[in-house]
Amino acid sequence: MSTSVIFPAQPEQILKGLGKLWTSLAQEEKQQGKPTVLRACAMTLIVATDDPDGGYAASQTISELMREHPSRGIVIAVSPEAEHGLEARVLAQCWKPFGKAQQICCEQIEIIARPENWPNVGPTLIGIVAADLPVVFWCRHNAALSPLASRKQKAGLEAVMSLATKTIVDSKGEDAELRLDLLSTWRKLGRTVADLEWTRLTPWREPIANIFDNPCREIKFSSFRKVEIAHGGEKPGALALYAAGWLSAPHQADVSFTQAQGKDDGLHRITLRSDSEQIDFERTGDCMILRSTNGRSRRYTYKEASVDALMTEELSVVGPDAAFDSAFARAQELLND
Amino acid sequence: MSVLAQPLPEVNPLQDPLRFERRVPPCTIVIFGASGDLSKRKLLPALYRLFYERRIPPNFAVVGSSRTPMSDDQFRDRMKDSVAKFLEDAPFDEDIWTSFAQSLYYVPGDLNKPSSYDDVRNKLDQIEKDHQTGGNVLFYLSTQPSYYAEAVLALGEHRLNRGNGWRRVIIEKPFGHDLNSARKLNDEIHKVFDESEVYRIDHYLGKETVQNILAFRFGNGIFEPLWNRRYIDHVQITAAESIGVEGRGGYYQEAGALRDMIQNHLSQVMATIAMEPPTVFDADNVRDERAKLLRAVRVTKPEDVPKYAVAGQYGAAKIGGQDVPGFRQEPSVDPKAQTDTYAAVTFFIDNWRWADVPFYIRTGKRMPKRVTDIAIQFQAPPLGLFKQETKSGLREVRPNLLVLRIQPEEGISLRFLSKSPGSGMRVRPVSMDFNYGSSFGERTPTAYETLLLDAMAGDPTLYTRQDMVEASWQIVQPILDVWAHTTFTFPNYPAGTWGPKESDEMLARQGHVWRIP
Repeated sequence: MSTSVIFPAQPEQILKGLGKLWTSLAQEEKQQGKPTVLRACAMTLIVATDDPDGGYAASQTISELMREHPSRGIVIAVSPEAEHGLEARVLAQCWKPFGKAQQICCEQIEIIARPENWPNVGPTLIGIVAADLPVVFWCRHNAALSPLASRKQKAGLEAVMSLATKTIVDSKGEDAELRLDLLSTWRKLGRTVADLEWTRLTPWREPIANIFDNPCREIKFSSFRKVEIAHGGEKPGALALYAAGWLSAPHQADVSFTQAQGKDDGLHRITLRSDSEQIDFERTGDCMILRSTNGRSRRYTYKEASVDALMTEELSVVGPDAAFDSAFARAQELLND
Repeated sequence: MSVLAQPLPEVNPLQDPLRFERRVPPCTIVIFGASGDLSKRKLLPALYRLFYERRIPPNFAVVGSSRTPMSDDQFRDRMKDSVAKFLEDAPFDEDIWTSFAQSLYYVPGDLNKPSSYDDVRNKLDQIEKDHQTGGNVLFYLSTQPSYYAEAVLALGEHRLNRGNGWRRVIIEKPFGHDLNSARKLNDEIHKVFDESEVYRIDHYLGKETVQNILAFRFGNGIFEPLWNRRYIDHVQITAAESIGVEGRGGYYQEAGALRDMIQNHLSQVMATIAMEPPTVFDADNVRDERAKLLRAVRVTKPEDVPKYAVAGQYGAAKIGGQDVPGFRQEPSVDPKAQTDTYAAVTFFIDNWRWADVPFYIRTGKRMPKRVTDIAIQFQAPPLGLFKQETKSGLREVRPNLLVLRIQPEEGISLRFLSKSPGSGMRVRPVSMDFNYGSSFGERTPTAYETLLLDAMAGDPTLYTRQDMVEASWQIVQPILDVWAHTTFTFPNYPAGTWGPKESDEMLARQGHVWRIP
């Protein structure tokens, strides 16, 4: 990793800093007389965080993500402890593929802002997003996402979102009703929005979907008209609501939620009922078990996905996400029922 | 006349192709020749990896069959060692293996004995019940090529070509040893399987970077207008190996480089580079265009063979301070062998797009390095305003070279001329690189993973069709015929070099030079 000095977060200064950074990396090439560094960028990934340790964590995540999604990473750390109002530094994250001589490097810009300067971040970003490439905004600025967010916090958020082709949030642990309302508002404004709680559902969704592809299975998905979701916590979270929305949207199946006593938050069991069969998908520790009243039983390994893995999946989806759209719309209906 | 309408199968509304892996139906894969090298090095590692990534359904099964007497458990143990050893760019997981191994079975048998096929059928019936595969079976002929026809006919005689589900057969290369034998083999196979059920594997077509040629050409608007004789001067396709015959001397002595590489892999790569855009990206349309291109390749007249084709054979040399044997000194090789371990061919494609553009193809063993790439040399600008500085003075350059790198550094490079910094108008070529590994950091599936999955899913786009195979034999057959009656002065290139001087002369006659990849 190469770093350079901290300077005011002016777009021109930042771009100049990046230029110097690449020139210094190229020096090494010149000395060795062969290509040693490869600059890679397929998007701009902006991460905004107001967690005191969030800046470091975001940097780490970007360096993990760059292997599959090389980007110009921009980390905005909003902290009352920032020394100056708005300052920046640039660095390069590099990795060397196994057995290769050449390092692959992505540039990263860190912007440190005091909370009162958060609304001023947007204008800086306009000048520094990579040209002609998608801009993905991963919002971890919880205060700005909160229903209690101030007007300025909202304005700051809006300024960043207006640059993004896609905005990603994580609703885990949040009040699902309030969060879905917020996402719905954004969606109505035409924003492309993703939620990592939906991404967390993939290890559930894939095996469930696959059982209805089995050519030997004569009972069709359309005959399962009842869906039961067992969740931890007092109220169903976004994960449970998305699961319910996804399974009930195609045929407007009946949905009921039950609380899984003594279990952690999240999804614990999904039950599908038809007139002649009941299929249970239950998570127990590191595996997921499918049981059917017709005698079928199967175990799947289940691993809680890391944030890096969730982001890797989410960054792979660049266009419209029809399954999420339909599940989201149905989840909102269920909330309103 | 009334027709009873069949209910359409229900579309699964839960599938999400954006995030889920492509679904393949459950099936049993029967590998004939299961104790052979291909199974150990490529097929089982590929299947394990597909299982590891949950890209094949959990109720799949593999039945290995070969002459070696073994139990299911012995087969599993043997394959475990091979998978752990030959898995490419991926970790071996003991728990996953345990789960995977439960789906491995073994039926000892001799392809010449009818009872072997009965044993296979009994095993398939049992698996169909236990695994609920729906009767889908994919046969993989990984045997000696001389058994292909016999094995397929026996599958038909024992009615293994039909069942409750689909039946398909994958046939490894070489598909015939000349045009006539390829035609004959096709006829035999079609007695048992319909062409739509036959998957002739050419693992080059399964390579991600070869598939990317289609994406590069037809997914972008900027190159295709230049992709013709008006702008392209010539094309060079190189497939070089640094190793020798590595214990396959006996086989290679009969095959040779032209048969082993150019007739199949490299002619298919040429077809992919030069074909017309398909109207729809599906198996039939893509393969139609490939076949059409191969049929447009000018068949070399026997008297022109010395002008357009060069055979070579490596001799002993010292590489890196170590003595390397010549081909004739390799084990199981006739000390007077006339085998081509190097072949270079000039092809011309007689269609409007490519008329008079030479396509140079070369392949060889014991070359300086392992590399496969395709270089498209664009024509020089009409007026040479800028000269390039070289040691021998200023010279005009043909700067625009597009290189599609297939292996080992997969990617695309475009060379263009740029002004050197400083005063004066000094120019030099620079390269704009796209590196597959850096843009898509995820592990690239091996060709066998891709192709096996495609066959299970019923997608033959990357498999060769009867007409493609016959067309590619057609273009090399005159060269093979002439070489068969020629006594070469071999060896004619030392190991560790880029081939015989005759090959350079072949290009020089057209005013071209081989590039150094």
